[in-house]
Amino acid sequence: MKKAIVLFFLTCLCALPVSLWAQSLQISGRIVSKTTGNPLAGATVRLKGTDQATISDGQGNFTIKAKQGNVLVITYIGADPLEFRVGTDQAPVIGLQEKAGNLEDVVVVGYGTQKKSLVTGAISSVKAADLDNMPVTRADQALEGRVSGVTIASSNGAPGSAPTVNIRGITSINGNTPLYVVDGTIVDVGGLDYLNPADIASIEVLKDAASAAIYGSRGGAGVIIITTKKGREGPAKVSYEGYFGTQSPQRKLDLTNATQYATLRNESSLAAGNGIIFQNPQSLGAGTNWQNTIFSNALVENHDISVSGGTDKALYFTSFGYYDQQGIVAKSVSNYKRFNARINSSFKIKPWATFGENFGYSYIRSQGGLNTNSEFGGPLSSAINLDPTTPEIITDPTVLSQNPYSTEPVIKNGQGQPYAISKYVGQEITNPLAYLQTQQGNYGWSHNMVGNVYLNLEPIKGLKLTTSFNAKQAFYGNESFTPIFFLNSSTTNLTNTSFYRENDQGFIWNWDNTVSYTYNLGEHHFYILGGTSAQANTGSGVNGTYLGLPVTNFQEASMNYSLAPANRIAGGFEAQPYRISSLIARFTYNYAEKYLLTANFRRDGSSHFGPDNLYGPFPSISVGWVPTKEKFLLNNGVFNDLKIRAGYGVNGNDNLPPFLYVSTVSGGRNYPFGEGGGVVVGYSPNAPANPKLKWEQNSQADAGFDATIFTHFNASFDVFEKKTSGMLLQEQIPGYVGASGEPYGNIANMEDKGVELELGYNQRIGQVNLSVKGNISHITNQITNLGIQNKYFVGANFQASGYEISRVADGHPMDAFYGFKTEGIFQTQAQINNYVNKGGQLIQPNAKPGDFKYADLDGDGAITQADRTYIGNPLPDWTFGFNINAAYKNFDVVLFAQGVAGNQIFQGYRRLDITAANYMSTALDRWTGPGTSNNYPRLVDGDPNGNFSNPTSFYLQNGSYLKLKTLQLGYTLPHNLTSHIGFTKIRIYVSGNNLITLTKYNGFDPEIGGSQGIGTGNANQYGVDNGIYPQARSFLVGLNVGF
Amino acid sequence: MKMKHISHLLLYIGATGLLVSCGKSFLNVQPKGLVLESNYYQNQSQAYAALTAAYSPLAWEVGGSDNTYIDKLGALNCGSDECYAGGGGPTDMATWQAFNSYSMTGALGPQAGLWDRNYTGINNANLVIQQVPGVPNMDAATKTEYVAEATFLRAYYYFDLVREFGNIPLITHPLTADEIYTQVQTSPDSVYIQIETDLKAAIAILPPTQLPDSMGRVTKGAANALLGKVILTENNTARMQEAAGYFEAVNSSGLYQLLPNFADIFNPANKFNSESVFEIYHSAAGNAGWGSWPNIQGNVYAQMTGPRSYSGPVFWSGGWSFNPIMPGLAAFMKGDPRYSATILNVDSLSKAGAATYTAGFDNSGYFMLKFAPLSSEVSSTGQPELNFPNDYIEIRLADTYLMEAEALVRGGGDASKAQSYLDQVRARVGLPSVPATLDNIYNERRLELATEGHRWFDLVRTGQAAAVLASKGFKATNAILPIPLVELNNTKLKQNPGYQ
Repeated sequence: MKKAIVLFFLTCLCALPVSLWAQSLQISGRIVSKTTGNPLAGATVRLKGTDQATISDGQGNFTIKAKQGNVLVITYIGADPLEFRVGTDQAPVIGLQEKAGNLEDVVVVGYGTQKKSLVTGAISSVKAADLDNMPVTRADQALEGRVSGVTIASSNGAPGSAPTVNIRGITSINGNTPLYVVDGTIVDVGGLDYLNPADIASIEVLKDAASAAIYGSRGGAGVIIITTKKGREGPAKVSYEGYFGTQSPQRKLDLTNATQYATLRNESSLAAGNGIIFQNPQSLGAGTNWQNTIFSNALVENHDISVSGGTDKALYFTSFGYYDQQGIVAKSVSNYKRFNARINSSFKIKPWATFGENFGYSYIRSQGGLNTNSEFGGPLSSAINLDPTTPEIITDPTVLSQNPYSTEPVIKNGQGQPYAISKYVGQEITNPLAYLQTQQGNYGWSHNMVGNVYLNLEPIKGLKLTTSFNAKQAFYGNESFTPIFFLNSSTTNLTNTSFYRENDQGFIWNWDNTVSYTYNLGEHHFYILGGTSAQANTGSGVNGTYLGLPVTNFQEASMNYSLAPANRIAGGFEAQPYRISSLIARFTYNYAEKYLLTANFRRDGSSHFGPDNLYGPFPSISVGWVPTKEKFLLNNGVFNDLKIRAGYGVNGNDNLPPFLYVSTVSGGRNYPFGEGGGVVVGYSPNAPANPKLKWEQNSQADAGFDATIFTHFNASFDVFEKKTSGMLLQEQIPGYVGASGEPYGNIANMEDKGVELELGYNQRIGQVNLSVKGNISHITNQITNLGIQNKYFVGANFQASGYEISRVADGHPMDAFYGFKTEGIFQTQAQINNYVNKGGQLIQPNAKPGDFKYADLDGDGAITQADRTYIGNPLPDWTFGFNINAAYKNFDVVLFAQGVAGNQIFQGYRRLDITAANYMSTALDRWTGPGTSNNYPRLVDGDPNGNFSNPTSFYLQNGSYLKLKTLQLGYTLPHNLTSHIGFTKIRIYVSGNNLITLTKYNGFDPEIGGSQGIGTGNANQYGVDNGIYPQARSFLVGLNVGF
Repeated sequence: MKMKHISHLLLYIGATGLLVSCGKSFLNVQPKGLVLESNYYQNQSQAYAALTAAYSPLAWEVGGSDNTYIDKLGALNCGSDECYAGGGGPTDMATWQAFNSYSMTGALGPQAGLWDRNYTGINNANLVIQQVPGVPNMDAATKTEYVAEATFLRAYYYFDLVREFGNIPLITHPLTADEIYTQVQTSPDSVYIQIETDLKAAIAILPPTQLPDSMGRVTKGAANALLGKVILTENNTARMQEAAGYFEAVNSSGLYQLLPNFADIFNPANKFNSESVFEIYHSAAGNAGWGSWPNIQGNVYAQMTGPRSYSGPVFWSGGWSFNPIMPGLAAFMKGDPRYSATILNVDSLSKAGAATYTAGFDNSGYFMLKFAPLSSEVSSTGQPELNFPNDYIEIRLADTYLMEAEALVRGGGDASKAQSYLDQVRARVGLPSVPATLDNIYNERRLELATEGHRWFDLVRTGQAAAVLASKGFKATNAILPIPLVELNNTKLKQNPGYQ
């Protein structure tokens, strides 16, 4: 469909002359594909023999001043040039004969571009046309479901949150974030948060090592290259895109109401031999629905305006964006605002020299102190766990006159009524309404300036020199005020208010210099590129806390108050320096565009490694063959285009803290000495050093093909095998070493295997332009080695359970779920008595009917920790997405759906250590007597059989889903109508997002990201849902205007 | 024109070449605020910082591999017949609850915190012993003294470990990378031999007293007292006289005296008082906030033990009701003059209308006073929960009196001396003499040292644990704790019997 962006790259090179407006009539025509009838955007229409030219818009429309008899020359990427003589028709429809397929596109490959038909690596690309009008908040979200082999999942539905992005599965135990390169700038820190999606011209994903090797050590987890929009020759073009909408929760949890809760609590207490807690559960009614107190509808709006244009000497694109989103959870403290400005311009200072810059600025202000996906409090976790028998507020005067309401600084609402404190559920679980009052005003902010300046020289035809200095400077921080509060007896702040302010900054620069030369000898085409790149990161920050400010809320808090020095506490940090120095080389050759070869090489030096392993080489080679250019397949009637390709390459990863190759000593091992108890700072070595640390290596073999079949279908298929060896990992060394930290080593190996398929279909059927795109990937991940000593690493922990819920283990996928295997529920005492070992002793002597029967996997006649096994996989086997675009006359419809299959989700909503926490309503189907349930055990306080505290498949659910992400209906006002009032385009649309989710998962949302992790205390593991902030369902009304 | 292009090109290539050639120095970056170990241990102040690190785990409230709350006293009180675990619910501080109910497994119990505390201390002490002798520009006497302090600390940590776990690896130097996974458990006997060797070495060097600005550093008296206690614990009747001798070196040194007023011992205003032989220092001077975690020098355990939502005299209002005192101890102490300095019956205060509070889990109404979060001690700076200044007196004179009395009685030593020490302890609180029998001495220990962290060890070493702790579910194998589960991962360690 739209190829405007591709073209605009080329226009920059073509140097179209500036228009000379002739006194003549105006012709408004339309450019369409002769084969499909689809409109062609971005075709150049030039009045022959003049400098006058224009470009067709998204609907293929163009307007140019021309007289009858004039000749228009129409050029379009992927089509032969056409000359059209202007006749009497003032609105001609001009059909262009497209060359089959879309293999003529140009893709960005890192330090250069390549014709897509000549690319031999696995590169997926998303163009602006695919993203236009799509209400995505972040650039990385724009990729979700659109590219095979890329799994993107929201790890958090809070406004502005970054999703989890995995390219071709999990690449490393140790960090898996792809490298983001925006206009040549490496944006390591803070990611893509700052970038306005409306400014994006194209996104390229380098998936295989053959392509990513040009980024060497930085490309191990894949590379995402983003190019922002540039101006193109012609008069100033103004475009506005905006939408306004409302968001609501997709789903709330089905929790027990007060009567049900009281019934279950009584039963659980009685089962433990204690008394009844609630005398009359029926009298309690439904009680409080805590979810309703924090979920609400919320607004979202977005406005982008851009102006672009240029002459043959200078091109510009400038834009302003504003985005404002409230959160659906506790919107008084959950919202996100972003302002963006961008100036991209380039100047042809000599016929052989171009100077330019791309510069983006953003300011982000966000609130989000919600502590989601954590069992340790926060309004979401509280709403799930707080008992429904507690009212929202206390009005009863007798209760008000008692402890704690009369004695403690409880939080009150606007009417002076205290928010109720649960008598049953305590610790970090608090009344969410009261909790939110303690968070008012707290916010985080950032200013980001990202850009580059570059100089391109072409002193001799074919020889190009480029130097580009790229940098990102971020200023960021946050402010928060903690009032005096009493939320419950263990969550209090009773003595001092505190006011915290933090100001940080980070600076990254990279300077790239390349020389390239293109040389053609008959049908032999050579290209060689060499260059250098250097990168450095620095950062620092200061923060201060004022304790005991004489104020009660954030608005009044100020650091202008005078306080005793002991109550003014300062802190700060400096990021350890990090530098990379690299050599880059690329060689490509093709014979008649039929036999293709690309070789990349990069040598990186990283300050993360010691003298022994300072440098790492990263080579790659890939080849291609285009059979459709062979005589025997010319005009074969099936394949319009076919390219078969294969490649192999090596990438690396140096993603680890600095100075681990050498033993360092740190303070903080303190002890007080002397009268007054002044703290003496003790020093001891940090984690044991490993001077042998070296680059983690990712090697990947890839084979595949790209094809256009029967004109209307295209397909892209890849099969790959990715091996990661010597993963940089913290060894979980035994505590008896007594070290203050764990050392890193090149310890483990991992393997990903997968297949990917992208399919497309484009055709005009009658009056309908139809485009369907789909993609599906199957990836398996396996740890293949954990070093000599390590059988496994502990993955995530589960609340107070002593058992981890996942392990990183040889022969299993990353973070595989680990726990006891249940064999149903003991229905009778007889079954318990019959469950005996070889010696005739009971295997579960303490079990009671209604308890889980655990499998004695090690056969030792007792249930011990050795009876645990692998019980599930958090990683999906399949990820898929599809996209349908249809246009009929002035109407257009977009449908976009996406999903995963084959994974499990561990749902840990309920607090294990709070006996009185509320239940999911699935607890109503618990075991209550023989035959009542074989999968939900009895409720009993203290849980002596570990039915709930032992990790088992009880907590696992099928995580497969298919989600209708976007359904959009648009209407474009007729061109002749809009052009009369001076507009080139007016389109209005309505759009719904996250409308339908098909899933068996009973939590908020099966789409959960998270990080892969090892080590205790990592509660945010991939596939673990401890109460993730769910994504909103939204309905939007939008407007696109161009003039 | 062409020439100009070529000169541009040359310039460009030259600049690029320059960048490449300076690559290596470009990559040579220096750490910020981080000292290379090879540049450390170069002067006395660095040696002192290393010694401080060996002391640091003594006062750990937070630590271990995952920086969780791991107070030693709280765990030991839960395991004894003095306190319940308490808290907000039956699984609040699940590690303590498991000790309280003797339902410990390799995965669940207080072991990880105790293990990590002591082994971190041992490693930091080993570093001092290894590094300090080679520190340049430092006088030899100071070096010897630092090493002696570290040697004492290593013995202290090992004594805790061997009593808590029985079967432990004995590590006497900082482990190198290839030694990490080769360690095996050794017999308790060889651990005790090492402890005694270390303490004897320390006794020879340590000063009898520390100057006020070194308050908190160990003395000869602490080493003598600890060695006596070690030998007493080894339970060899033939060596009881030897143990008594080490106690006598403390008791007759003239450096220590019983405080006239029993309650004053635990008053934070009386840190390092004349009765204190070895004291673990807590301080509010660090002004710890939640952001200071895990570097907290205050006593968080005090905060843990206060009543919840409390309004009334003595305690501050924000306690968390852990370690409520078991009714058995309250009954045992009833009528003893030390009761009022040990236990506060908040329940009766509440019934009398003098206080209100929220009952926690396993609430007995009896709250601990020796390490209480007193309203008068609430820190005005930092986070109050993290800044209570209560010290732990690991060894105090009344304890060494009673231990000497015990050693004398068990070893057939000077009975009148035994009687005299028992009498002095009782007389201080106005109690008459009772015969210095073992039973009376053990009773006295229970009364005098209640909730100070000695009871569980005493019950185990005197063989009374099985009888006294039966109601909590104590079995013979519970005399030692399970080895932390993570210590078995990839190592040669074996789990203790009863916890497999």
